[in-house]
This record gives sequence, structure tokens and C-alpha cells, in this order.
Amino acid sequence: MNGATGPGAALAAAGVTIRPAGPDDAVAGVTPRWVAFPETTREIAAVMRVSAAHDLAVVVAGAGTTLHWGRPPERCDMLIDTCRLNEILEHEAGDLVVRVQAGVPVETLAEALAAKRQELALDPPLEGGTVGGLLAAGLAGPRALRYGTARDLLIGITVVLADGTIAKAGGKVVKNVAGYDLGKLFTGSYGTLGVIADATFRLHPLPTARAWVVWPGAAPDEVLAVVPAVTASQAEPSAVELDRPAPDGPCAVAVLVEGAAAAERAQAVRDLLGEKARVADEPPRWWGRLPEPGHPGPGPSSEPGGRPGEGGVLVEIRTVPSRLPGLFAGALARTDAAVRGSLASAVLRVALPAETDPAAAAALVSALRAELADAGRVVVLSAPEPVARRVDTWGHVGGLALMRRIKDRFDPDRRMSPGRFVGGI
Amino acid sequence: MDPELIKDCVHCGFCLPTCPTYVLWGEEMDSPRGRIHLMAQHVEGTPVTPEMAGHFDACLGCMACVTACPSGVRYDRLIEQTRAVVEREHVRAPGERAIRELVFTLFPYRRRLRALRLPMRLATRLRPFLERVHPSLGAMAELVPPPARPVRLPPRVHAVGRRRATVGMLVGCVQSQFFPQVNAATARVLALEGCDVVIPPRQGCCGALSLHSGRDARRFATRTIETFERAGVEAVVVNVAGCGSSMKEYAEVLKDEPGGWAERAAALRVRDLAEYLVELGPVAPRHPLPVIVAYHDACHLAHAQGVRSQPRELLRAIPGLELREIAESAVCCGSAGTYNLFQPGPARDLGDRKARHVLATRADVLVSANPGCSMQIAAAMRRSGEGGMRVAHTAEVLDASLRGLGARALGGR
Amino acid sequence: MSDAVLDRLAVRFAELLPAGAVITDPVRLRTYECDGLTLHRAMPGIVVLPETAEQVAAVVRLCGEYDVPFVARGSGTGLSGGALPRTDGVLIVTSRMRRILEIDMPNRRAVVEPGVTNLAITEAVREQGYYYAPDPSSQQVCSIGGNVAENAGGAHCLKYGFTVNHILGLEIVTPDGEIVELSALDPGYDLLGAFVGSEGTLGIATKITVRLSRAPEAVTTLLAAFGSIEGGGAAVSAIIAAGIVPAAIEMMDALAVEAAEAAVGCAYPEGAGAVLIVELDGPRAEVEHQFTAVERICRETGAFEIRVAASTEERAAIWKGRKSAFAAVGRISPAYIVQDGVVPRTALPEVLAGIDRLQEEYGIRVANVFHAGDGNLHPLVLFDDAAPGEGERAATVSGRILDLCIEHGGSITGEHGVGVDKSRYMPKMFTEEDLDTMQLVRCAFDPRSLSNPGKVFPTPRLCGEVPGVRKGVHPLVESGRAEQF
Repeated sequence: MNGATGPGAALAAAGVTIRPAGPDDAVAGVTPRWVAFPETTREIAAVMRVSAAHDLAVVVAGAGTTLHWGRPPERCDMLIDTCRLNEILEHEAGDLVVRVQAGVPVETLAEALAAKRQELALDPPLEGGTVGGLLAAGLAGPRALRYGTARDLLIGITVVLADGTIAKAGGKVVKNVAGYDLGKLFTGSYGTLGVIADATFRLHPLPTARAWVVWPGAAPDEVLAVVPAVTASQAEPSAVELDRPAPDGPCAVAVLVEGAAAAERAQAVRDLLGEKARVADEPPRWWGRLPEPGHPGPGPSSEPGGRPGEGGVLVEIRTVPSRLPGLFAGALARTDAAVRGSLASAVLRVALPAETDPAAAAALVSALRAELADAGRVVVLSAPEPVARRVDTWGHVGGLALMRRIKDRFDPDRRMSPGRFVGGI
Repeated sequence: MDPELIKDCVHCGFCLPTCPTYVLWGEEMDSPRGRIHLMAQHVEGTPVTPEMAGHFDACLGCMACVTACPSGVRYDRLIEQTRAVVEREHVRAPGERAIRELVFTLFPYRRRLRALRLPMRLATRLRPFLERVHPSLGAMAELVPPPARPVRLPPRVHAVGRRRATVGMLVGCVQSQFFPQVNAATARVLALEGCDVVIPPRQGCCGALSLHSGRDARRFATRTIETFERAGVEAVVVNVAGCGSSMKEYAEVLKDEPGGWAERAAALRVRDLAEYLVELGPVAPRHPLPVIVAYHDACHLAHAQGVRSQPRELLRAIPGLELREIAESAVCCGSAGTYNLFQPGPARDLGDRKARHVLATRADVLVSANPGCSMQIAAAMRRSGEGGMRVAHTAEVLDASLRGLGARALGGR
Repeated sequence: MSDAVLDRLAVRFAELLPAGAVITDPVRLRTYECDGLTLHRAMPGIVVLPETAEQVAAVVRLCGEYDVPFVARGSGTGLSGGALPRTDGVLIVTSRMRRILEIDMPNRRAVVEPGVTNLAITEAVREQGYYYAPDPSSQQVCSIGGNVAENAGGAHCLKYGFTVNHILGLEIVTPDGEIVELSALDPGYDLLGAFVGSEGTLGIATKITVRLSRAPEAVTTLLAAFGSIEGGGAAVSAIIAAGIVPAAIEMMDALAVEAAEAAVGCAYPEGAGAVLIVELDGPRAEVEHQFTAVERICRETGAFEIRVAASTEERAAIWKGRKSAFAAVGRISPAYIVQDGVVPRTALPEVLAGIDRLQEEYGIRVANVFHAGDGNLHPLVLFDDAAPGEGERAATVSGRILDLCIEHGGSITGEHGVGVDKSRYMPKMFTEEDLDTMQLVRCAFDPRSLSNPGKVFPTPRLCGEVPGVRKGVHPLVESGRAEQF
């Protein structure tokens, strides 16, 4: 396979940059044999055709910020690095639409859009990620309450399938119901259906003003008692976020109001929250970031050289607002986990320090699932192997049989990030 | 069935949610759009099958679809034409025929109805027996309101204060027999608002019942026109929604009748009571009437005559009165002229549905401008066992306010 | 499909379903021959009116057993023939599944059956100050199940998104008759997102969880009359450029205004070449701020009359003309085609000019009604069906308008769906590879192609085939059961 007729030679013949992989290229502990750097969709297709011909398992990486999420791949021969797919292909400001290649860093895109006073209203909780990574991991942040998540803002997509087929769906108009929405299937699919080559998003004008109402030093039950009124208030908050660094200490709540008359509306929110809340021009330090276990006070949002949460246990809870008080009084009160997330959308992320006893981590996950039952889902986004062995990473998945059938159709040979996804897909 | 009228339907379906039978059964064939489709099938050569006739018969003729239609389809015309075709081409079962004959020989005749009032009282007690003989007879018995004290109206009631107009008044067959107090209230309200009210004593049926059932109504129409022409009035005021709507159709009914009848019909200014009072404008002082009222849109008023805002406007203008809307107000109560007699099953279901919505308003009084609706909803509320609600005509509420009688004067249960 | 099979199937259905829920009488069946698009008609083999998900699943399983295709239908208001029945198949009508099962105010969601109308959801929660946001023009009649199938939009989706953005959970009956629950909370592939808008080809939704939205504090509706479409278009561009996202921006040209006037007497300003309706909603302070800006922009771009709705009644009066526009065109033309295409907003002027040229070239009038904010055009192509050749010319114009949309990077449908009417345009918008890839999803859900076959895709491949690689003749093709193109 490594000879003149092997994949390396085939890729070289196709003109795609490729290098042998090293230990630094490992995906959740699995080291690939090659790393490919395609620059165009056609080059991705070339890599995929070669991979198909040689039965190579393929994993796609952007900046690698969430590469340790999900289960480790069963095998990985080819790592596709999207860093050279870094072009903003089209931005017609008058249409409030942008088309970008998958490897464009989210921050780079934001800067380009801000120049035209526009934004992609997603707030990924990790810095340095790419557009492709954001989509593949289905990331969202505080403002999902107002704008939805990546799947709601994605209007078109180009993908390359396991056999090298280039396919697109959607388009570059916001309103479009022609054909199946493949973009939705690929969003949050962890690279198991194919490679995302480029994506087209619906944009929003940058809000004319933003104001945060911050209430530090609150008790969770106090906060949860007023949040429904805030969410329902006519001030129309864009986000209602909570930071609970540790179970015994105080927590903080912050509410974002955007748009015209933001200050006035923020004042209305403050009146609902009470006297201890203050209106601020800036978000609190923890806003929109992953929880940081073992950082009860202010501190850096990420350790130098490492990735936030890497090595620790990161769990995502998705439920409905009415179940939050029970969670905070129950399973979340009995753990030293740090919790951050949206009280209005009822999506919380829970982080345990790396040194947490694997059995205790597994017990927390079970307790959360038991408490929520049908009313929520608990997903282990990342966990060190000793923890991962003890828990069901994904928990209950409705429609799993259908998902397997989709996987079988898109990737019959199971070469795309095999084993990383729900049900071992 | 005029193919040109059928063609106006673009099949958008906007009529569906307002159609009482679609609301009940959720079937295309029992929606206006479906019935128009059936009409088209007939025009294209399909004979009137028993199934087809059944779907036409099931139509209440409430005309809610006419209001809802954005394309201006004249379903009212279409269904009247269709009913005539059904009457001609479709042979009904003997039992059904007998009931229809009974109704058409009784209801349009005041004297026959009067003669029937005593036996009808007995009928209330005989209901279980009648129900067994024929469901329609049971329905008739259930609807009968408690006997009302007869009211004799003079041929002319003089305006109170300065006379502003001279109007004629139609007393209605069912109204005059079962709700004479409504006619008395109507005359008083008109007089208090400055009208001389002419009430021709020998007026007959306006023909509504026949017209809405696909039967010949021309004789009734010409007689009524003659009666009010002789009365020398500026307008004919009608307090029964069903009668008012058919009288407004006279010109259409008589369009092929020799003798200039269509022109004479057009010259007759027919107005619903509420419509007329709003046109005239109020002069009589309103006394407070602290009562919560739920206003029911009679189909023949709201849909056939487009009179929706006027009764509400009159009611709201009464000090102390609170007006509440009834959910699904556009959907028929199931009375629909003779419908509750010929189709007692669906009529009952619709009545129950309406009664639920009416009771949900928690109003003190249900106000309706059609005796059929009043009887139908009152019967359904009695059936519900959730306690009734007083039922009154718009005229009675206005009368109570104008005369300062207080809320207790209003209606019975 | 032989009649004998359908006869046997009808007997089996009658054993499963309540009395009166199986229709086989031809006169009755024919009333179901088309949905809101009358151009395509087919009398269904059997119509069933189930009342529960279990009944739907049982019907679907039986269809599988007898190898009979089935089509789901809600209120039958679709405009792309998505619910066009199969003469050899079963039409599953959800109009008797219309219970609102649960209203969960603390979590701002409602669970409803598919036959519930879009507006009924709003009516059920209006008193609590909430509503269901997507608002197709037919909202008082169209069913939520149909909305899910078609990913229905509406005038207000400019700001609030489409059906897919408001569905939190689905219970579906898959094409093999399984009942599957899908939740927005679930990890894994976004099956919910794939199902919404799949036009009944991936199964039938039997229970739908929708998001309820807070009714805005303030709503301001403004009507601006312009001398020309260009003026209105300039106003739209300027509003968007000013960073304002109104709840809705609608435009009607002179011909559409004429029709609406004839139908509902909407009394729009006389002599308007274009009427623009802008609706702003949200917190009062924000709406006031934006209103000042929009009014100024309209004046600067040449509006000769501006009206502002001060009450609910006035707001309804402004909307009345717009909402009735489609059906209203029946008043000024014996027949017409409602088109639904999308172009990038910035391409609107060019595309409208192109439509003008088509009108001249073919001697066919086109009335334009559109959601200007998102470039969704609804040209109404008018013709006289009694005049020889006019119908064909109108159809050509209608098709060429879609070509214009595709040329300008738009879409062949913004909200009406592909259905049976537009499947032939799909290859113009998508490559064979694109369509083959979509077909993979279809095959995962419905390998036997029994669920609403013949819709969306022009030449459905059989699921045994590998896209791009043809391997001999498929046994179904050989046996005459399917056609291969």
C-alpha cells in the first residue's frame, strides 16, 4: 500500500498536498498515517476517491478545538486538515448571506462580516475553531435563544461523500424548500457522513447596541425563580446565561439585550432581577465559554498550550426550562462540577476536573439521566478514556435505527470517522 | 348549477374551517369546496347519487363559506340551485319525505303553528316516544321553548317624540308564535328611536324556509312585497336573521317573474333591526344595564347579510354592559332553519359544540338575533347539564336599556 | 395496481378503522383528486381518515404488505401538488387528527396532532400572550402536518424563520409503518431537520411539538405606495442596509393591487405602481426607533403615500389585500398560475425586469406579489383558459420565470414545495450528484419508494442502485413495476 501504487502516490498524482502523520496528529489517541491538505472541493474529492480505492478511514479536522469530542475513531488512516480551505467565497452584504469554505476560522469570518456591520449569530464556546468544525460539532452558544443554532442559520452546503461524490443542497437564498436539507443532516454529524467543503449562512445585521444585565453572587434557586419572567419579558432578551463555578458557592446570571433601545430594555430586565443586578456594556468574563472546573474565581479562560476542558469531563444537558430547578436542587447540587449555560434554552454544560474519580463522573451522568428521564438528554461531549469506558457517551437517541440506515447509505464501508458517533456510527 | 359559478372556485380551501360539517367530520365531501366539486361532477354528467344528495342535504346553508371565500364564489346561489336539482332528481326515502312535508306544511303558516302550540307542549312530555318514531320529531319536541304569553301587536305603533321615519315590521312565523315578546320589544325600541312602526296584521310567511330548502318561494315573496308596498313604509325592518336574508334575495328569486317583480323587490328597503338602528343613529337615552352578554352571530345575519359589527356596536353602547365573544363565532350552531329537524344528528353535535363555547364565556345572557338559533342553543345548554344561560334577542336587551328595566328583565332560560 | 388488490386492502382497512373512515365510493373519492393546485388531478384508489397514530401506522403497514403506495394529505391547500393522490394508491387524510394534546406554557411548547390548523395553535395560546410564529397565508385552514411536510413559511418568516425552526419534536410513522419519536433534544443526526420539508416522502408526522413564541409587545404596520416597483425595491434595499430586520416586507405591483381591490376592496392608494407593506414588531422602544427609520427611508426612496395602522383593525385592513391576493386574482383573470421562486434580494430588480420582458414576449400578464425581504417571488401568471394556446404560453412564462430565478442563484421554490409540479425543474437547480445524494436519504427511510412516490424528485432512482454506477436492469424495472430513466 505504501509503494508507488499506494495512496500516497495516488494523492501526489492528484496534486493534493499530503504528508505522513506524526503523533501530534492523533485524533483522540488514534494516529493517522497521512494528513492531507486539500485546497478546493475537487481536491477533497480526490482525497476521498483515493481513500475509497484503498479502504482508508478518514477523519476531518479544522482547528482541532473539538477533535477530542465524541468517541475515538475505531480507525483513522487519513486526516483531512481543512486549514487551506480558508476562503470566504461570497459575501453579498445586501443579501445578508455568506458562503465560506470549511477551514475559515470563525473569528476571521466574524471580522470580515463586521466590516460590513453584519455577523453570523452563533457563539461557539471555544476560540480558534473553524466554520467546518462548528458545523460538524453542531456548536451553539448563548444567543441560540434568539437566533437558533448552526442548523437554523445554515442555508446551503457542499459536501464530499465517502466515494468522492461532490453534492450540494440548499443554496444561497434564505428561503428555499427545494429538495432535502442535507445541511441539517451534516450539522452535528461529527464527520460521519462526509466532508463539509463549504457552507452558506444566513447573516444578521450587527445589533446597534448591546447591554448585559449581570447579577453576581446569587443563589441558583433565587435565579431560577425569576428567570421565567425574564425570558418571557417584553424586553426580548437574546440570551439568559448562568455561571455556577461550584455547588456550594454563589452563581452568576447574565442577560443579554440587543438592538435599538437596548439600555432601556436592559433596565427593564434589571428591574425583574432585582437590586443586586447591574447593567453593563461588556459581558462577564465567563460569557459564552465552556465551564472551567476548579476555577471558582476569575481566571484565564484557557490554559496556555492546552484546550479548555481537554483532559476533563465535559457533559451537555439539553432539557426544558421547567426541569432546571429540579436539576440544580438534585444531581447538580451533589457534585463539584462547574456549570454554565442557557437557562432560557435549557442547555447546560457541566465540567468536571481531569482528576475526578471516573466512577464519580459516571455516577453524575447516570444521576442526571435518571433525574431528567424523558424530559432531557445528557451527552458526554468529552471524557478521558477511564470515564468514557464507564458511561454511555450519547445516552438515549430517538430514531437510532433510521440514523444507522442513513449512515449505511452515505458510507456503506464505514470509513468516515467510524465509531465516533451515536450508537457506534 | 351554473358552471360559471362553479368555475370561480380555485380550490384554496379557505372555506373549510368555517364549515360546520367539515368541523364535525373532517371530510372533503362535507366541505363547501368538496360540495362544489360534487356539483362540478354533476355538471359533467354524474347523476345525483344518494351519496351525493346526502352531502348536499348535510349542508346547513349557513353561508360561513361565502364570508370566508377570497375568490367571491357564490356558494349561496350554488347550493340553492343544487337543492332544487336534488328535489327534482333525487327520490328520498318515504320517512324522510313525510317529515319534510310535515315541516313545509306547518312552519310557514302562523295559524297552523298557533294551533300546534298546545300539542307541542304535550310533545315535550312525549319526546321519548316521538324520538323513537322519528329522530326529527324528537328534535322538534326538544326545541320547543316554554310557552310564551301571547302578545297582540297593534297595526301601527306611533313614534315617541319627533317622528324620524316610518318603517314596516315583519313579525316572522316562528318568532311571532314562540317569541312574541321579541316582536313587542322590537316595536318599542323602534318607536323610542322615533319610528312609526307599521305592522300589517295579515302578513304571511316571507318564504325563507322554502327558499333555503330548494323549494319554490315565489308566491311567498310576491305576497310579502305586496303587503309592505301597501303599508307605505320607507323600510321594512326584520328582526329574524333568516327572514331578513331571504327578503334581501327577493330580486334574485323573482328575476324571471313577469310583472316587474324584480324591480318592485329591489325597491323594498329591507333592513335587519340592528343594521337599521345603526343607520338611523341613536336618539333615545340608554339606561345602564349591568350584565355580561355573549353575542352569537346568527349565520343568516353575519354571513348572509354581512351584519356583524352593528349588533355589537349597539350592545357596547349600553352603559354597564360587557360584551364577550364566543369562540368559533363563525361556525353555525346547527339550527340553520329546518336543518335541526331534517338532520337532527349533526345539528345536535353542532349545538353541543356551540353550547360549550357559549358556556365558556361565563356570560349572564346569550344574545342572538334569530329565534332558531336561540331555541337550538338553549336546548343544547339544557342538555349539557351545566346550567343554562338566559337567552335574549338584541331587541330585548335594547328595550331593557331604553326603558331602564334592569338586567332581570332579560329573557328566560 | 389492480383493482382487486385495492378492494382487498379496503376490506382490511375497514377492519382497522372506525366506521366511515374508509372511502371507496368513486363520487366521494373524486373530491380528493387534487389539493390546492388543480392543475394535476388523480382520483385516489382509497381514502382513509384515521384518528390515531396507531391507525396511521397500521394503514402504512398494510400498504407495505400489499406493495401499494400511499400519500398523506392534511387540509389539501398545498400549491405544488404535494398531496396529489395515486390512482393505484391510498390517500391518508389527517383531517380527523386535530386534537391539541398539550399546552406547556412554562416550556413554551404545544403538542398537537397533524390535522390541527396552523392558526388554531395560536388561538389556543393567544390569551396567554403567545403565538405560533410561522404564518403561511392559508394559516386559518392549512394543517400543521402539511406545514411540517412542506416546511411552510409565511410573510413573517423573514424575521422568525420557517416551520423547521419552530418544530421541537415529531412522532412519525416511517414508510415501513414504525412509530418513531424524534426530539430536538436528541443527539445524533438531525432527523427532525431532514424530515421537515421532505414533502411526505419520508413518512407521516402524527404528533408535532411546536415552539410557542411570545407575542411581541408592539406591532407597527406601514403601507407605502410607490410610483414604480423600482422605488419599492430601493426602499427594501435601504431598509436592509440600515440593519433593520422587519417582521415582514411585502410588495405588490399595480396589477396585484387591482385584483385585491376587486376582491376585498382593500382601498390601497390609487395610482400606485407598487405597494410595500412593512411590519415591525418587538419591544415597543425598538419598534418606535425602527419605525422612524423605515418611514424616513420610504419617503427618501419616493413613497408618495404612507399609511400607518394604528389599531388591530387597521392592521388587518392593510394585510387583507395582501393575504387574499392569490385567490383575488380570480377576479381579474379567468385562470392563473401561482408561481413561487426565490432570488437573492439584490437580484430582484434584474429579475423583475426579466419578468417584464417575458410578459411582452409572450403577451401574457403577470401580477407580482412577493415577500420582498427574502426575495421570494409569487408571480401570478394570468391567462384565459378559453383562449386557444394561452394556457401553454402562460405555462411557458411561468417556467421561464423559474429559469430566471435559477440563473440568478435563487431557488425554484421558497415555500410551496416541489411536489409534483416542479420536480422537472430540480435538475436545473441541482446536479445529478446532488439529487443522487438526496436520494440516499430517501432510500434510508423508504427503500421501496412507497411514501408519496413521484414527488420532489424527477426520476427517482431505485434504492438498490449505487449512484453513478448502473448495474444492469433492476428487477422492478424488468417486471414493469417501475420505470427507469
